[in-house]
Amino acid sequence: MTALATDPRRPGIARPAVLVYRDVRKLYGAFVALNGVSMAVHKGEVVCLIGPSGSGKSTLLRCTNALETINGGEILFDGAALPADETAARHVRRRMGMVFQNFELFPHKTALENVAIGPLTVLRARPADAAAKAQALLDKVGLASKAASYPANLSGGQQQRVAIARALAMEPEVMLFDEPTSALDPETIGEVLSVMKILAEEGMTMVVVTHEMTFARRVADWVVVFEEGAIIEQGPPEQIFEAPRVERTRSFLSHLGWAG
Amino acid sequence: MDFDFSPIIENWRYLLGGLGVTLALSAVTVLASLLLGTGIGIARVFGPAWLRLPLILYIDSMRAVPVLVVLVWTFFAVPILLSGLSLPPFWAAVVALTVHIAAYVAEIVRAGIESIRPGQVRAGLALGMSRAEVVRKIILPQAVVRMLPAFGSIVSITIKDTAIATVIAVPEYMKRSETLAGQSYHPIEVFTFAMIVYFLILFPVTRLIDVAYRRVAHLGRS
Amino acid sequence: MTYDWSVIWQYRAAFADGTAMTFLLAVLTMAIAVPGGIVLALLRLSRSSAIAGASTALVEFFRNLPLILLVYWAFYVMPMVIEIELSPFATGLTALALNVTAYNSETFRAGINSIRRGQTEAALALGMSRAQAMRVVVFPQAWRRVLPVLASTWVSLFKDTSLVSVIAVGELAHVAMEIRSQTFRVLEVLTAMGALYWLLGYPQAKLADWIHRKFGVTE
Repeated sequence: MTALATDPRRPGIARPAVLVYRDVRKLYGAFVALNGVSMAVHKGEVVCLIGPSGSGKSTLLRCTNALETINGGEILFDGAALPADETAARHVRRRMGMVFQNFELFPHKTALENVAIGPLTVLRARPADAAAKAQALLDKVGLASKAASYPANLSGGQQQRVAIARALAMEPEVMLFDEPTSALDPETIGEVLSVMKILAEEGMTMVVVTHEMTFARRVADWVVVFEEGAIIEQGPPEQIFEAPRVERTRSFLSHLGWAG
Repeated sequence: MDFDFSPIIENWRYLLGGLGVTLALSAVTVLASLLLGTGIGIARVFGPAWLRLPLILYIDSMRAVPVLVVLVWTFFAVPILLSGLSLPPFWAAVVALTVHIAAYVAEIVRAGIESIRPGQVRAGLALGMSRAEVVRKIILPQAVVRMLPAFGSIVSITIKDTAIATVIAVPEYMKRSETLAGQSYHPIEVFTFAMIVYFLILFPVTRLIDVAYRRVAHLGRS
Repeated sequence: MTYDWSVIWQYRAAFADGTAMTFLLAVLTMAIAVPGGIVLALLRLSRSSAIAGASTALVEFFRNLPLILLVYWAFYVMPMVIEIELSPFATGLTALALNVTAYNSETFRAGINSIRRGQTEAALALGMSRAQAMRVVVFPQAWRRVLPVLASTWVSLFKDTSLVSVIAVGELAHVAMEIRSQTFRVLEVLTAMGALYWLLGYPQAKLADWIHRKFGVTE
């Protein structure tokens, strides 16, 4: 049940664990969002979290970069527990990148300014350096020509790609994606998934909450299935999608129309 | 620094009378300005062009001129215009405050009516209602609910503005506090007490309106 | 009944002085009440419930009092508390500033809260401190929502300066009442006072309307 770092089927098993979750609990008042979640993310792995809405996947992600505090258990980042103190938490957040479902680009700044704002404000980079790096990252996500555009003039897919560039500008050790394509029109989902695939191939450690099962099947190294705040199954994508061991995994996938 | 609240205790009947006048003045003004303001607001939205322009001028003028000025002008200047016909201070205050506050009510009514989506009107007309029926049965009921919080603030503003009537010697609470403060040589105690009294009246009023609005808010959402 | 409108022209210097004083009071009050309102709004949004509660209580207190009472109270209480003899001008200014700061804190609080939480979260996720997130992300977006309300508050403030006339501050209303008692030309002087406020206030109200149209948020 609790397949931590010891599962031999994991390709990333030999590499260090960047994130370790031990029996993590999270409560919102009386509602139990996370009920003893234990899992690990190794360096260079793409771990996809799937499951019905409200099952705790996004909550776990938001606890990972200390946007939310946990009520029980522990989360280890690079071997150290997440600090409770806000100032120390800030330093941890610099080393993680987060991409939000609603993009959350800053509407009063251009694409270039959005990407540069992390290094400028947090890392106190020189404006020229920050701008050059931002331009390079926009180029990497295929939006070099949109550097001077404001978010309002960009499509959803373009905004999300800028958001990915913005997170990458901080040179994070791990990228957290919270349903990155759920708010996108179908035509633009592909361009965002392509960028994520490139990141994965470059060896970025990624934790992705998603409903895009094809992406998870093709790109993930490890898939974790959530339901009602707990992990019901985790394993390599071949197992989860073709031969799930738990009945509820099977019914969840069939509800999504996953034909395998 | 020793405080002596005895003048307040000894003259409690005098102050209570003042409070009565404050509440009476507020109640009459709120009623009158709601009636007048609603009429003006509806005329402003649905009336003919020749009526709308002077109404807009009146509404905007009341936004430009202080209450104090309207009060003083109504009490001192109007009798001269009407060759000696003077209103007693209380009624002069009623007239002045109503004229001033009705303008705000009219704006609230206008904003409330205009906030109802045109789709609602179209739906009513499609059902075969006349324009008048659409206004009466669809627009106004929803608009009234939306106006409630703003009407609540009108009550609060009115009670506060009655205190300005002290300058034309209406014997409301502010005036009586002033008189007592002067006679007893204890202005700090008297005015501090007055602050508590006004707060105790105004705070529940605003809270009550909030609560009442929350109960009925869903009726105005479309 | 004969009217003598020439008194208005005769006393034009005094009327001008009164008008200038009205503007001075309003400008100085806003100069205090805008930064004061921001500070108070941030205190109300504080994560410490003690600070948030205390500052909210303060704001609610000043919002639920007639301003004219605050003017009188300041006039009698402040010399005792501060033990300096403040001029009526300073006293009036204090009362106005306390009142408008309380209203502004509500304006700024609502403006800050109107910015989606996700914006602050995105800023925090990049590693910004809460203060940086406010400065770089929230405030630049919030000021557009705040400006129309501040414009309306200014228009009200301009009218409320008339209330400090009761403690003999030489703004327009007080000047007019003085001229009235000196010349006994009640109708002429009071009408002039009304007309002056109208001439000054009407364009300001229209300007506030324009600001509402230009910066107003369409839901």
